[in-house]
Amino acid sequence: MHGFATKTRFFLNETGSLSRFTARFFSVGVKPRYEVKELLAQCYIIGYKSLPLIALTAFIMGLVLTMQLRPSLVVYGVESKLPIMIGIAIVREIGPVITALIFAGKIASSIGAELGSMKVTEQIDAMEVSGTNPYKYLVATRVMAATLMLPVLTVLGDAICLFGAYIGVNMHTVTSYRLFIAQVFQDLTFGDFLPAFIKTFFFGFAVGAIGCYKGYYSSKGTRGVGNSANAAVVLASVMIFVIDLLAVQITDLLGLN
Amino acid sequence: MANETGNNTRLGIFVLAGLLALIMAFYMIGKNNNLFGSSFELHTRFPNLNGLIVGNNVLFAGIQGGTVKSIRLISDTSIEVTMTIDDKVRTFIHKNALAAIGTDGLMGNKVVNISAGKGASPLVDNGDMLGTQKMVSTDDMLQTLSTTNNNIAVISAELKATALRINQSAVWDVLNDRSIGKSLKTSLKNIAKATANASQISLAISNMVTRAGNGKGALGVLLADTVAGGDLKSAIAKIKTAGNNADQMTANLNALVLKIDKDLTGGKGSLNAMLKDSVIAQNLKKSMDNIQKGTDAFNQDMEALKHNFLFSGYFKKLEKEKAKQQNKKN
Amino acid sequence: MKAADITEDQEDLNHGEADVRPVIVIEHLYKKFGDLVVLDDFNLVVKREENVVVLGKSGSGKSVLIKCIIGLLKPDKGNILVFDQNIPLLGHDDLDRVRTKVGFLFQGNALYDSMTVRENLEFPLRRHWIDFSQQKVDELVMEALNNVGLPHTVDMMPAELSGGMLKRVALARTLILKPEIILYDEPTTGLDPVTAREIDNLIIRLQKKYHTTSIIISHDMNCVKNTADRVVLLSGGKCYAQGTYPDFEASADENIKQFFE
Repeated sequence: MHGFATKTRFFLNETGSLSRFTARFFSVGVKPRYEVKELLAQCYIIGYKSLPLIALTAFIMGLVLTMQLRPSLVVYGVESKLPIMIGIAIVREIGPVITALIFAGKIASSIGAELGSMKVTEQIDAMEVSGTNPYKYLVATRVMAATLMLPVLTVLGDAICLFGAYIGVNMHTVTSYRLFIAQVFQDLTFGDFLPAFIKTFFFGFAVGAIGCYKGYYSSKGTRGVGNSANAAVVLASVMIFVIDLLAVQITDLLGLN
Repeated sequence: MANETGNNTRLGIFVLAGLLALIMAFYMIGKNNNLFGSSFELHTRFPNLNGLIVGNNVLFAGIQGGTVKSIRLISDTSIEVTMTIDDKVRTFIHKNALAAIGTDGLMGNKVVNISAGKGASPLVDNGDMLGTQKMVSTDDMLQTLSTTNNNIAVISAELKATALRINQSAVWDVLNDRSIGKSLKTSLKNIAKATANASQISLAISNMVTRAGNGKGALGVLLADTVAGGDLKSAIAKIKTAGNNADQMTANLNALVLKIDKDLTGGKGSLNAMLKDSVIAQNLKKSMDNIQKGTDAFNQDMEALKHNFLFSGYFKKLEKEKAKQQNKKN
Repeated sequence: MKAADITEDQEDLNHGEADVRPVIVIEHLYKKFGDLVVLDDFNLVVKREENVVVLGKSGSGKSVLIKCIIGLLKPDKGNILVFDQNIPLLGHDDLDRVRTKVGFLFQGNALYDSMTVRENLEFPLRRHWIDFSQQKVDELVMEALNNVGLPHTVDMMPAELSGGMLKRVALARTLILKPEIILYDEPTTGLDPVTAREIDNLIIRLQKKYHTTSIIISHDMNCVKNTADRVVLLSGGKCYAQGTYPDFEASADENIKQFFE
């Protein structure tokens, strides 16, 4: 019973400090001066350098999804609906969530480890002493970069995923790419696309903020750095699903579904 | 520093690629929703939407021409549908164009079909109200066919009975009455017309069925449904029998009329005696009425069938050929 | 540094009217982490161009003390006056202004390992005075590196340098803003005695050159002997004893004696 109480307290404490940490982004991060150069550098690292990994996983996802869905659709005689089904699945859910999860695995851990080791080696203190707000310089830029880059990655990932699906469709029948794309977009509406697109900003924000939080409050030692990287990935992944749940409820309430 | 510039360039390419993909996606979706490109609105009113919803496609002459923008209930038998139509088809839609609700494929979404009306008419303007056309559904078509069959069956049965009775009894005197002779003649004409119609239709149907057998045409889809196909087949068979019956009857009647003519011109007295039998005379009159009614109904059914979209092509072809022949004659 | 030098320095201080006022005044400083009391009514006054060594065992709160001075940690109670500004009460911008005059040499050097030596040195320059010309920045970077004798490392990454070189680069970065006060957090810890000696000498030389005031945290008696004008023993969160190095060497106090064993 005692252990439970301690854990609950720890959980609440952690939630509170994470919220406070995140809130600082809006109070500190949005004020000048803006660390544009560091933001661009982070966008390059977080966005551009994640593309090959995202592209590979998205391609495989599209291909596998198509091959898995086809037999069931053949049974019901609606094989011709394969492109639109895959299109909706990818655009609405699989594209954003898979991309975000891969992104969390790569980015949350690297941010967590980077900031963790900077914390342990006093680089964050050194920055503060050098007249730089480390929150602004390190955290705000990374959170911002993750928030801005994940949507870009998701859109590209969706496109690559659809290309994988196209290859999957073409394994059994011959379809031109134009026809495939026309079929995919035939029944897609902005109600499918926009909520899915908007939620990726929140995914990116969560990944960035949690990675930074775990790194920023990393405990001393190499073990602490490893732990914070690990905890960042786990928490960020869970957070993605929580946001996804919230997003679907909100879109439902707004009648966008 | 050069390295950093390179990184920024790559980042720029990356972001632009993402932006491009985003714009493409917006465009592709927007194209279907008519958010981009200039468009205008048309209205129409249907008594029943059959499941048409906002966002369904509007087809003009079978091509994508717009989408359903809104649906508004006016009264219990009137629903106004507002359609957003692409500007690119504006120059082809005239004010007398007709809108109808149809289905995109066998199991697909509902669509609004806009088809060109007959005759000349000015082009539509933004906000115009289009007339509607009842699309004959498969069910309606089969129902019409069965009514036709029933009618033909009734006619042929009564005609047969009458003809037999006339043949058996020596009631020729009855026919001294000229009015009866006249109505008989009209009836004969009607029957001839009916049989011609019937044979045309059965030809059209068999034509369609052969095309359907080859998997062509709208019927091809329909006939995949074996129940509907069976119905249709039996319907066709019935029509054929009815046609044959009618043929026979016409021959009988012809013979009868010839006889009557002969009797009348020959001035045989037995007919006069016959006419005193008022019961027979009344029966005969009734029969004639029935024949007239039956043939009228049959003709109406045939007209309706002619306008059915399934057969429209065939009849158009016939008309064309007729026109051609007439041109040749002239 | 012998006692004679100290008196000379102190006399200098007493002569100049402006120099009389101390640059750092610490009054009744309290700081605890959870239940652990680290600083308990600590008082210290540091005069201009004085080298004060704070001596203490590991975990005695030495690092906490200088982190409070630079504003990295907030004390629970007490005043820290640096150039007459009370550090714990300062807002972010004012704190930044004070920090341009206070250098801090971290125990682990804290060089940014994702940047080259040049970028490391440029960082505080670019942060504090954004409107420096590139030429001026380059000049200052090379001057700082020449001061520590490592101009050839300018385009190397920190990972490529040895421990002693890292310490010197870190020192160069601390000095690049020409601070009036430098806080050294265990400058010779983890270095071999020869390198440690070099670093000590470098600290003394640069202190003479730029007339800085220093607080040096150490438990390395060689370092203390080489650099200290005055030694303060931090024990039990209080200023346990203070005096010159010879005073400490001659002391019979158990707490002091154990540092010489």
